[in-house]
Amino acid sequence: MSRRRVVITGMGTVNPLGHDVADTWSALMGCASGISRNELFDAGTFPTTFAAQVKDFDLAAHLDDAEKHEHAGRHCAFAIAAAAQAWKQSGLGEHNDIDPADIGIYLGSGEGSLDFANFSSLLVDAWNDGQLDTRRWAELAFERMNLHREVEQEANMVLAHLAAEFNVRGPAYNVLTACAASTQALGEASMQIRHGDASVIISGGAHSMIHPFGVTGFNRLTALSTRNDEIETSSRPFDMTRDGFVLGEGASILILEDYELAKARGANILAEIVGYGSSADAFRITDQDPEGDGAATAMRAALKDADLSPEDIDYISAHGTGTKQNDQVETRAMHAVFDKTAPNVPVSSVKSMLGHLIAAAGATELITCVLALRDQVLPPTTNYHTLDPDCDMDYVPNGPRKAPVNTCMSNSFGFGGQNNTIIITKCH
Amino acid sequence: MPDSRVAVTGVGVVSSAGIGVGPFWEALTAGQQSVKTIDLFDASGFGCNVGGQLDSFSARKFVPKDYRKAVKVMARDIEIAVAAADLAFRDAGIVTPGIDPENITVNPKRLGCSIGAGLICTDLNEIGSAINTAVVDGKFDLQAWGREGINNLTPLWLLKYLPNMLSCHVTIIHKAEGPSNCITCGACSAHLAAAESARIIERKAADVVIAGGAESKLNPMGLLRQDLLKRLATGHNGTVGPAARPFDASHDGTVPGEGGGLLVLEDMDRALARGAEIYAELVGFAGACDPAGAAVTQRNAGGLDVAVRKAIAQAGIGPEDIDLIVAHGTGVADEDAAECQAWQQAMGPAAADVPAFAITGSIGSLFAGAGGCELAAALMAIKTQTVPPTVNHASPSDGCVLNLASHARSAEINYVVSGAFSIGGQSGACVFKRYEG
Repeated sequence: MSRRRVVITGMGTVNPLGHDVADTWSALMGCASGISRNELFDAGTFPTTFAAQVKDFDLAAHLDDAEKHEHAGRHCAFAIAAAAQAWKQSGLGEHNDIDPADIGIYLGSGEGSLDFANFSSLLVDAWNDGQLDTRRWAELAFERMNLHREVEQEANMVLAHLAAEFNVRGPAYNVLTACAASTQALGEASMQIRHGDASVIISGGAHSMIHPFGVTGFNRLTALSTRNDEIETSSRPFDMTRDGFVLGEGASILILEDYELAKARGANILAEIVGYGSSADAFRITDQDPEGDGAATAMRAALKDADLSPEDIDYISAHGTGTKQNDQVETRAMHAVFDKTAPNVPVSSVKSMLGHLIAAAGATELITCVLALRDQVLPPTTNYHTLDPDCDMDYVPNGPRKAPVNTCMSNSFGFGGQNNTIIITKCH
Repeated sequence: MPDSRVAVTGVGVVSSAGIGVGPFWEALTAGQQSVKTIDLFDASGFGCNVGGQLDSFSARKFVPKDYRKAVKVMARDIEIAVAAADLAFRDAGIVTPGIDPENITVNPKRLGCSIGAGLICTDLNEIGSAINTAVVDGKFDLQAWGREGINNLTPLWLLKYLPNMLSCHVTIIHKAEGPSNCITCGACSAHLAAAESARIIERKAADVVIAGGAESKLNPMGLLRQDLLKRLATGHNGTVGPAARPFDASHDGTVPGEGGGLLVLEDMDRALARGAEIYAELVGFAGACDPAGAAVTQRNAGGLDVAVRKAIAQAGIGPEDIDLIVAHGTGVADEDAAECQAWQQAMGPAAADVPAFAITGSIGSLFAGAGGCELAAALMAIKTQTVPPTVNHASPSDGCVLNLASHARSAEINYVVSGAFSIGGQSGACVFKRYEG
């Protein structure tokens, strides 16, 4: 039995390099850096003082009636704007004959950021003799904490806003598999369409962890770059001098659609999702499997799902975080999967320019893959200057490259060992 | 038709009514009330200070010896999931490397894991101890925090609280290398996890998937958020038993609890080949949402009517074929009413005819842990052909048409439907079919 085909008919993004797809792509083609001194809070004394921030964002510039999302948290607002762009491009707004119960949402969206000022002051003011006076804490919390500020932190709230904005009544999933979340969301969403659980799915991810606890958490894990004196070039995936990832924020949304529906309504089809693979390292919570076995399993599963061989892949959008471990393990895993063809397949990490958007990273990177197919050009890995013997592939260093591109693989790996791979092609 | 059918061959439950599916079911059918005053911390400052609390619970005895150290980096939600996973695999008779590395009966590459989770709250005493090292002139000081304070947090602090860590610890302990996910859709997370996992088995991306959800809301942040939402039951503080009153005329809110449930879903052919005991077949499942969910102060049932209707249709049956409804029953008046309306919209007259029950009266509302326990109860009901009582349900609330009873009933149950919904407007439903060899 032939399976339903899944195509991409709309894309939108808000990220440190742009507030839409076109601006983002031209920034990536120009090797721009989205990284700058942290202005979201004063991180001057933190081990890491910089981040890849979304700047000058205003939801009202993307929506006619932004007021109805007045309670939306920062990452949620990014998601609404990105979804509005994607929805518009898809043209689905003009097709109100689609049953809302046949439209779904599947996101890899992060938790909202904590109300840090109130949270920290409460812990000080209700602290008594070396421990928390919970009764006092509750009294003060009811005075200071805000209902919506608290509830919007729940990771399912972005779904709620998108459902309201686009009148969705079909399946609604949010998954939070750390840095792999939005790739997993897009992969499972494409499976839902394939299985017939929905005909259209608004999918992607959103996240902002550029708040004191986010930076604290990653700094304690020593996962972040601390190159405070070379901020713009601090994200150095695959380079010998890489010293950690750069925390970013943003949202990217893609409209996935049953191919037959897209064709019937004359939609502009941007690409087809042909393969998806998911795996777990099942190794340690702190480290990746050093052999890259889990990552390789996800890539192989995606190839098998797509019925493709490694030599069919023209470009790999790497997870490429810029941590010592990830880039080495990922390279090892690509070698394991691609074997003899490994030297011939170009790989790049746009995190060198965008930073690491955590849950939103995979969706943002998949958009760059779609654009690579469209323009027959590969986005580069910037800040790549010093060879690491453990990272010996073709990383498309320091400038975009014209190349024939028909099929792209995009990888995302999460803290804790969840691995996801998606393969897209031009739609024929 | 999908390539594979999906059997449920194992269930693991952690709840205030019992740990392990046997004790849990015994307590449910006996109508045991397990909601009492929270003593994990002083909850007297909140509108509700009773809950479905686990007593002297630790994951330590549910992990292999060489993994016990890791329990220290598990938030309570994670401990619940880890314990439920151990119970579920043992119940299924599946030997993972975490149970006995010498006698493994499952291929790690073909073993998946999908555990729903909530917004895990950081331990306020842990973070407070660190925060209070960064106080200048009686006030928290961000510069002092960045410079010195953060070093008072354990390096792995963040990893205790990432929601995917429920799945990650379980995959590590049991060497589950197949597809792994973490759904964060509140109380319907386990239903959605089961649905997605069934699809994974159907398309042969795994042979066995452990799926469900776990959460503990019994912490100050958890109670605060529910209190701000004005969802908490406030009328029975200081009592043992009666606070959670699903669909009862005197329901006055939700009673938070902690716990979770995990199911072992297995390719039917594989289950039959190994002679596994089969609880039931998962034959229908669906998710849905309600655009009204964004308005969190206005109660709704998250499109439960759509999810239930689709799940029943997917099972290839009609509402009249359903023999049992497992309702969600938060005990919040408007939510109970919206839920009853959803069941009626989805099932018509059958919604009132078919026996129904809710487990919240016994164990409280478990949020991401709720669905796993509800599915476990649905499976035990079909296995034992018994409808447990709805604890604390005496007279029906406004608009409640569900056929609930305060005593256990025996019934012929061939199909059972379970549905749940989240704050924020998502829902999920699953239909199980009796398996008769």
